[in-house]
Amino acid sequence: MSFDLALRLTEALLALALIQQGLEHLRAFRRERILFGARIVLCLLVLAGVAQPWPLVALAVLSLLILQRFQGPYNGGSDRLGLLALWCVTLARVLPVEAWRELAFGYLGVQLMLSYFISGWVKIVNPDWRKGLALRQVFAFSAYPVAESLRGWAGRSRLLLAMSWAVMLFELAFPLTMIAQPSLMVGLVVAATFHLANACLFGLNRFFWTWLAAYPAILWLQQRLF
Amino acid sequence: MANPVSLLAPALIPSWNFFDVIAASPRVEYALAEARDAVLDAWIEFRPRPQRLSPAAMLARLFWNPRWNESLFLVSCAERLVEEPTAHGEDEIFRRIAADLASRPDAAPWLSFRLLFLDPAGGREVLYQAAPRLRSDIDVG
Repeated sequence: MSFDLALRLTEALLALALIQQGLEHLRAFRRERILFGARIVLCLLVLAGVAQPWPLVALAVLSLLILQRFQGPYNGGSDRLGLLALWCVTLARVLPVEAWRELAFGYLGVQLMLSYFISGWVKIVNPDWRKGLALRQVFAFSAYPVAESLRGWAGRSRLLLAMSWAVMLFELAFPLTMIAQPSLMVGLVVAATFHLANACLFGLNRFFWTWLAAYPAILWLQQRLF
Repeated sequence: MANPVSLLAPALIPSWNFFDVIAASPRVEYALAEARDAVLDAWIEFRPRPQRLSPAAMLARLFWNPRWNESLFLVSCAERLVEEPTAHGEDEIFRRIAADLASRPDAAPWLSFRLLFLDPAGGREVLYQAAPRLRSDIDVG
């Protein structure tokens, strides 16, 4: 995948993800409607490829106003990756030297890889995760399960132990999938399935779309490095 | 209020420590009263999750999930309020409760909320309670 194609795919997928989030905000309060209405218009310009790179620059500036509005990311990790992706693709469009542009875009790919590896590492060093207890606690009392009936999963300790180890081992092994393009694609399909499960069970739909949007960056990075 | 550049920094240099520790989890509860100094003893969970959700509904939420995402934002506000109380966090929670109650003009005029934290050992502790506000004073526009 060429740099230009990967960058174009990333910015288009990111624009779609931001439009999906923006539409959710249009039902909210007046000031949010103004901020997110403007963001939707800018995303449509990015999708149409009009006046590049200025809609991306405007989106990056607007992201600061949105951060100020909510005093942080609205939805934690998913919005953080969205911000990172936005600033990386913006820099990859505006920096004057090709090597710098590649560095900015490659940084997104590296962070995507680290998002899995570090998540796996911080879990496996925690005895509660190794014993399956942490995932039982997530289902038992955390704010995430989307329905009360899902809290019953907390009693399925063997299943949750297996799920805990499957998640930890996959996350830790993810960097190894970058050895070859086919293995990376398999890794990304597994990762997308993981995000889909999180979206269904915990209502984390923004993670699904935002992480998918960054996949072209890591696919390009793999080809660039190996 | 934190400046936007300092808020952007953790996104550009992320830590990726998702679910590293399962900490006590907040629930937002609210109470209505006829007077500012009334005793608040009838606390109601704000937006309790449904008993069941069909697989089709879960998949539909991939595309349209505003209320749940707003509830997750309130979880962030609750955690921040307990760590470092700010008017912003309190305002955000008040606004959203008041907006949901806007369809009940006959309900009592004074509104308060509290943050109940549930811990892994089954403990329940109220770590924050907001002073009552008049619903009519809360901007829900």
